[in-house]
Amino acid sequence: MATHEEIAGSLQAFADSYNKNERLKIMNRDWDRVVQIKATDVESVHTLILKDGVLSLVEGAAGSPDLTVISDSETLADIFYGDITPTEPYNNGTLRIMGSEDDIIRLDFISLMIWGE
Amino acid sequence: MKRVVSVSLGSSRRDHKVEVELLGEKFEIARKGTDGDFDRALELLKELDGKVDAIGLGGIDVYLFVRQKRYAIRDGLKLMEAVKVTPVVDGSGLKNTLEREVVRFLAGETGLIKKGTRVLMVSSVDRFGMAEALCEAGCDVTFGDLIFAAGIPYPIKTMDELEDIANKTLPEMVKMPFHMIYPTGKKQESQDEAKVQKFARYYHDAEVIAGDFHLIRRFMPSGLKGQVILTNTTTGEDVGFLREKGAGTLVTTTPEYGGRSFGTNVMEAVLVAILGKPWSEITAEDYLDMLKKLDFRPRILKL
Repeated sequence: MATHEEIAGSLQAFADSYNKNERLKIMNRDWDRVVQIKATDVESVHTLILKDGVLSLVEGAAGSPDLTVISDSETLADIFYGDITPTEPYNNGTLRIMGSEDDIIRLDFISLMIWGE
Repeated sequence: MKRVVSVSLGSSRRDHKVEVELLGEKFEIARKGTDGDFDRALELLKELDGKVDAIGLGGIDVYLFVRQKRYAIRDGLKLMEAVKVTPVVDGSGLKNTLEREVVRFLAGETGLIKKGTRVLMVSSVDRFGMAEALCEAGCDVTFGDLIFAAGIPYPIKTMDELEDIANKTLPEMVKMPFHMIYPTGKKQESQDEAKVQKFARYYHDAEVIAGDFHLIRRFMPSGLKGQVILTNTTTGEDVGFLREKGAGTLVTTTPEYGGRSFGTNVMEAVLVAILGKPWSEITAEDYLDMLKKLDFRPRILKL
């Protein structure tokens, strides 16, 4: 089980990697979205806000989310640190993402562009 | 008579059967769509296994080639592995050879493709051979993979960037349920109106629009100005659709039989049946040699 702080650390690492990637910022200039991340086994809610291509992290719930990402704390930390990809937990139901299918694919794509080898 | 059947995840409305003679041998070629029903496709494949000479898998890719790397789509592999006896192909082997040749033919013999021609490839990771050949011909190619598959308005302009993005994303994308990355079943009969509007400029700016027909169709806006459509499988209905949108010329990479062009998976299955060799032993040279013997030429239709 990961702690709230570990999840926060993973999300910050994700946001930092994203913001260092100029190509991703250009790609997402048109895509303003609010993504809420909730853990199922610890009290932990964060919000990633993508605006004008730049990604920021906020503690707790903020705004009304376009996408909601729900999983156990360990899986969340693993995904956002890039230790695992979201595909497998998404396919086996460990990871749930609520939102439009287009938005889900785009979020998945961003994570692959950050951590993909 | 040899029997070749294409089992497709696409719409059953496109089903078709013809008899043709190739190199002195009679073939019955049929296409059976399963309207996006994966389980029905699995059942049909098991039913046909051992009873026909070759099977093509349509409406789904199994292998995607990015230069020397090969990625296998998980759902496609499941279908392929359901067939134990009969040779089964997805068309990727033929695509990688035939479609390169078609681009060279169009550049050398027709003037439809020239140095500097603006080409939109709606998707290129599923036909890397065509993408490479278009670049070799000196075309100004926009690879629309991110635009149309992920909704990201980012035109990829070089093979190096295409390769970089493909190698980062494909290892995971191929594990996703296929319907999330490609229109199957009923989706093949409709357009994605939001993307049609949002990304119309890429179609309007191009002189040639190339790639998989279902993708071309799904995002095609009205008001084209005589563009050339370079694709694979089309029906009479598709030709009407392209005329209505304002396209000027249709080039299909596979020849016409009985009023329509079959998918590369069907034609590859036919070639495998003629060659009579295990698929794993068939080389690009075998395909090229066979294409020459059959005098395969693209179909070019003024719309």
